[in-house]
Amino acid sequence: MVKVFIERQNKKMNVKAKDIDGLIKNLNINKEEVIIVKNNQLTPRNEKLKDNDEVKFLSVISGG
Amino acid sequence: MCSRCQLNPVIFPPNNTKGLCKSCFFKYFERKFNRTISQFKLIEPNEKIGVAISGGKDSLSLLYLLNKLKSKKRFSIEALLIDEGIKGYRDRTIKDAKDFCKELGVKLNIISYKDEIGYPLDNLIKKLKMKPCSICGVFRRHLINKYSRKLNFDKVATGHNLDDEVQTILMNQFRNNPEVSARLGPITGIKDDKKFIRRIKPFYLITEKEVTTYAYLKNFKIKFCECPYNTESYRINVREFINKFEEKYPGTKHSIINSFLEILPILKERYKNYNEINYCKLCKEPSSKEICQACEIKSKIK
Repeated sequence: MVKVFIERQNKKMNVKAKDIDGLIKNLNINKEEVIIVKNNQLTPRNEKLKDNDEVKFLSVISGG
Repeated sequence: MCSRCQLNPVIFPPNNTKGLCKSCFFKYFERKFNRTISQFKLIEPNEKIGVAISGGKDSLSLLYLLNKLKSKKRFSIEALLIDEGIKGYRDRTIKDAKDFCKELGVKLNIISYKDEIGYPLDNLIKKLKMKPCSICGVFRRHLINKYSRKLNFDKVATGHNLDDEVQTILMNQFRNNPEVSARLGPITGIKDDKKFIRRIKPFYLITEKEVTTYAYLKNFKIKFCECPYNTESYRINVREFINKFEEKYPGTKHSIINSFLEILPILKERYKNYNEINYCKLCKEPSSKEICQACEIKSKIK
């Protein structure tokens, strides 16, 4: 299971995923609206995921 | 691998399939920022620039970069923050703004709705039967202009980025408001009007993804915080539409901005009389009508 944090919704969850692209599709996230941080490293393209990886989706959208 | 130095990329800017590493991204970003200021003549030497900040990543990144550039380009800066009075939101971003200004050594001016209008926004929305964003936008613009003049700013810089501008261009297009689009661009306002302080947008050619990446990599301690009244559904729908399109056809946002910059001089010429500035009879602030919107809303407060 991959540990996921979605900043905009302030939501944490554990999700089964093989890679980042699969995770994005599964969670219905638009790549344009987030920056992706995998295990504290900015990850701008698809990468394989393994158990206990941490993936954060940080919102690029201004708060108002 | 980074297109310049073969290190791991942190971002893929449009038209760059190899991406940029952290250090090359900083150079690319700051060069683009400085070039926008020079290309559109946003700042002249010896000017005093007010930086309108909210405490979010865009405006604090803007403050950081203008502070970095000020000695080289010989201008000075002060920050201006409008405290609308939104519990659980603005009080949190004000803290980030205060800490950031202190760290940079930049003077911060805070102007509140409570002192200026008489009530915080949280109370105003109960008193007025209007959408929060309609009240907030009017008073915020009014106070930014009024205090920019009082504080002797030559111009006011805002953190508006390429995404914000693209959304506004399309919203005006979809709503058939070309005269409103004529007021857009990297620098707005009329040069020789003493009462209207011109606005500049140094992030005009920079996407919000690039600004977020910059703020993250610079390790700015800014928490994501969303305004509870952020319900301008038309803008939200346009934003989602553009982002879906950009994902499918990369470069769309830049194409919209570039073609808009081509037609902007024509729009400005066409609507130059339409957008003429008059002055409000009551508060003497710039206004397109006899009584400005801020005074009109104020008169409805009971």
